[in-house]
Amino acid sequence: MIRSRRNIAAALATVLLLPTVAAAQASPGADAAYLIRGGTVVTGTGERLPNTSILVRNGRIAQLGPNITANDAKVIEAKDKFVYPGMIDSYTGIGLQEIGGVQTMTMRSEMGQFNPHLRALVALNVESEILGVTRMNGVTDVLTAPTGGSISGQAALINTAGWTWEDLAVKRAAGIIINLPGGGGGGRGGGGGRGRGGAPTANAAQLAAELDNFMKASQDYNTRRDAGLAKVDLLYESMRPLFKKEVPAIIGANGEQQIRDAVAFGEKWGIRVVLQGGSGAWRVRQMLAQKNIPVILSSIQSAPSGNGAYDEVYSQPGLLAEAGVKFAFSTGNGSNARHVPFHAALAVAYGLAPDAALKALTIWPAEIFGADKDIGSIAQGKLANLFIATGDPLDLRSQITEVLIKGRLVPDDDRHNRLYLKYKARPLPTVTP
Amino acid sequence: MSLLTRHTRAVLGALGALLGGSAALAAQDIAIRNATIITIANGDITDANIVVRNGKITAVGRNAAIPAGIRVIDGTGKFVMPGIIDAHSHAALENGINEGSESVTPEVQVQLKNDDPVIYRALAGGVTAANLLHGSANTIGGQSRVIKMRWGMPADSMYFKGAFRIVKFALGENVTRASSDAPAEDRRFPMTRMGVDFTLRYWFTKAKEYDKEWTDYRAAAKTNPNAIPPRRDLRLEALTEILHGDLKVHAHSYRADEILMLIRAADEFGFKIHTFQHVLEGYKVADEIAKHGAMASTFADMWAYKVEAWDAIPYNMALMTERGVVVSVNSDSDERIRRLYQEAGIGVRYGNMPVNEALKMITLNPAKQLGVDKMVGTLEVGKDGDIAVFSAHPFAPQAMVEYTIIDGKVYFDRNQAVTLRKTAAQGAGPGGDR
Repeated sequence: MIRSRRNIAAALATVLLLPTVAAAQASPGADAAYLIRGGTVVTGTGERLPNTSILVRNGRIAQLGPNITANDAKVIEAKDKFVYPGMIDSYTGIGLQEIGGVQTMTMRSEMGQFNPHLRALVALNVESEILGVTRMNGVTDVLTAPTGGSISGQAALINTAGWTWEDLAVKRAAGIIINLPGGGGGGRGGGGGRGRGGAPTANAAQLAAELDNFMKASQDYNTRRDAGLAKVDLLYESMRPLFKKEVPAIIGANGEQQIRDAVAFGEKWGIRVVLQGGSGAWRVRQMLAQKNIPVILSSIQSAPSGNGAYDEVYSQPGLLAEAGVKFAFSTGNGSNARHVPFHAALAVAYGLAPDAALKALTIWPAEIFGADKDIGSIAQGKLANLFIATGDPLDLRSQITEVLIKGRLVPDDDRHNRLYLKYKARPLPTVTP
Repeated sequence: MSLLTRHTRAVLGALGALLGGSAALAAQDIAIRNATIITIANGDITDANIVVRNGKITAVGRNAAIPAGIRVIDGTGKFVMPGIIDAHSHAALENGINEGSESVTPEVQVQLKNDDPVIYRALAGGVTAANLLHGSANTIGGQSRVIKMRWGMPADSMYFKGAFRIVKFALGENVTRASSDAPAEDRRFPMTRMGVDFTLRYWFTKAKEYDKEWTDYRAAAKTNPNAIPPRRDLRLEALTEILHGDLKVHAHSYRADEILMLIRAADEFGFKIHTFQHVLEGYKVADEIAKHGAMASTFADMWAYKVEAWDAIPYNMALMTERGVVVSVNSDSDERIRRLYQEAGIGVRYGNMPVNEALKMITLNPAKQLGVDKMVGTLEVGKDGDIAVFSAHPFAPQAMVEYTIIDGKVYFDRNQAVTLRKTAAQGAGPGGDR
């Protein structure tokens, strides 16, 4: 990252008594009013507004326009720069897992097959170093999801900066993760704790029957609760938002057959389906468009399947967009969530329109998770989750200079920048051993 | 090929026939006109031509004359750069990459599986050469194969002639099998970084003795025809080749402590670590690496997947470069090898490396690490015609490889691949529909 942001952060740190590089952990930033002045605002919904300012107050975008003044606001100069809505990685395990190889730092998979009552949000570690480095590349929101079993639990849509998990929350239950027996599930680079959980593979027919029974029981419970005939049962209670279509089922599905199975599953039980994984979804794109089924693409930084064309993974997003399928990008894991714009870049190279690429990083996932009133574009009233860049964030030569999340200017005291500045300043060794 | 479907085999077969069938190994003539040429050595030249004859670059520049009768690719709007070189890959290897039975096995060498489709997919990402390394199970592992991605050729026609002979070392969690679930009594020495240090010093002590026995014998044999030669030991012989610098060390390493340990062990026995591989904490001991004369080949940004990758930072490339280390960025993956140009660009986003320095990390610098920089790594007259043609600047989001050329011969042609796929697959690839 470039020096200007560092200087701003350092200057603000002095004013606001924020921890600087010496701090042990990255800070989510201070609440204040900011005036982002005179940049080109790329709204994320298709407009590019030159010489436009943004007033940020109480965590939200208070005003957007050419000539805004606010004496109480700290000014962030954006002249000759671009202001983008924060980007979204739509499938990760951030906050649930830290170092992949350490079992106690990888708690994404609970025991048992049916866990719709488990909530990712309340188990999130806000001090995760992954949050700190993720946001500094302009990724302001991620879906973080449990894994394992047939029903893994409730995924949360969160900001990548905050003081508590409540502060992180954008959508507490953004979807219920379902893995159809015999496939799907987890996503590339995802996976559960070692030796536990994971997508079901053994005895798929029996597991499918059990899932069917569970769905039936959940549906019956929902009907009886509506009629006031059942006592509260937390397990089945957590399934009710699915049947009321308040929350989608996020179903892991790769390949044409699994995708068709997942769509049929949704129709059978009358629930909204969001596909996760989606390799081979281009083969059924007309059907997906017709039925309005969105797709969270697993990492497109992936090799093709054994029989796939060399560019199958890269060219799929362009084909989906052309057909009218709504989709979102994801990295699947977490530690490289900040690379999600580079995933989108690969899709652009192989045929996805740049505007659609930005939408698949912002407003489309916000809509898929029902959070578009709060995030996904730069518009008055939305959360001020945005970043300032010297150019297109998909271009590796651009620099991200400032990041705001929930209206807070995030200091660049993330783990990687701390180590960078520390060792950049290492004096030359003077004593030869 | 067993993993491939009939359809893929058909496409690959057709490609092989078109690209490889006629000319065998014969070098070719080709020119690209009116492109932006990223020479690496002499800056970027816009509206320029590049000419390759008999496999070697004969002209680069605005006014480079294109001889009549040779194939010309129109480079209008395109970016031409040296073929990408991957200094760390395990693609296209036959039957395993680790001789894991013992911790010191420099006498073995990996074997090329020349029909691995990863070679084709790497070509489609602009890669023209790669260092296929032994795995990281051993303190001192086996020897590499350095290849050019001459897809469709027999294995021995793919070896990069003139490249260094390279042997793999490894340190840290992999070699100590730290993540192994095996009970302690079933595990193998060394199990700690301390044990790795000792293993190195034990074997190089033996190698020095062995080397002296042979030196003494050769001296004695000059005057005494009945002198008895020492018993030949292929393992110790390989270690003496390391001592003499004939076999270059590429050392898998993560943490600063183990990097420094290996430098000091090499100092003690008087040999050089040629290139540190991964070297994720290289930024912490960049001065020591530079002073030893070692180079570094790292990931752009891989961290948090295990404890020894916890202090990895994407600024590693920039910091080591600033301190004078020759840095390459490698794939170590059948996926990343397809988009190494993106990985190099991470060095611009993190640490603000100059664009040309970042591009060196996948061209000239890995060429130095493999000992082929006199032949490849820049676009200069006299070098091999190994070229990648991009649709846009390789760091731009629109960047897609359109042609990959080795020794003046087109091994990947995007248009041809798409056309062949449409005719061969009848709707079973993108472009087809259901």
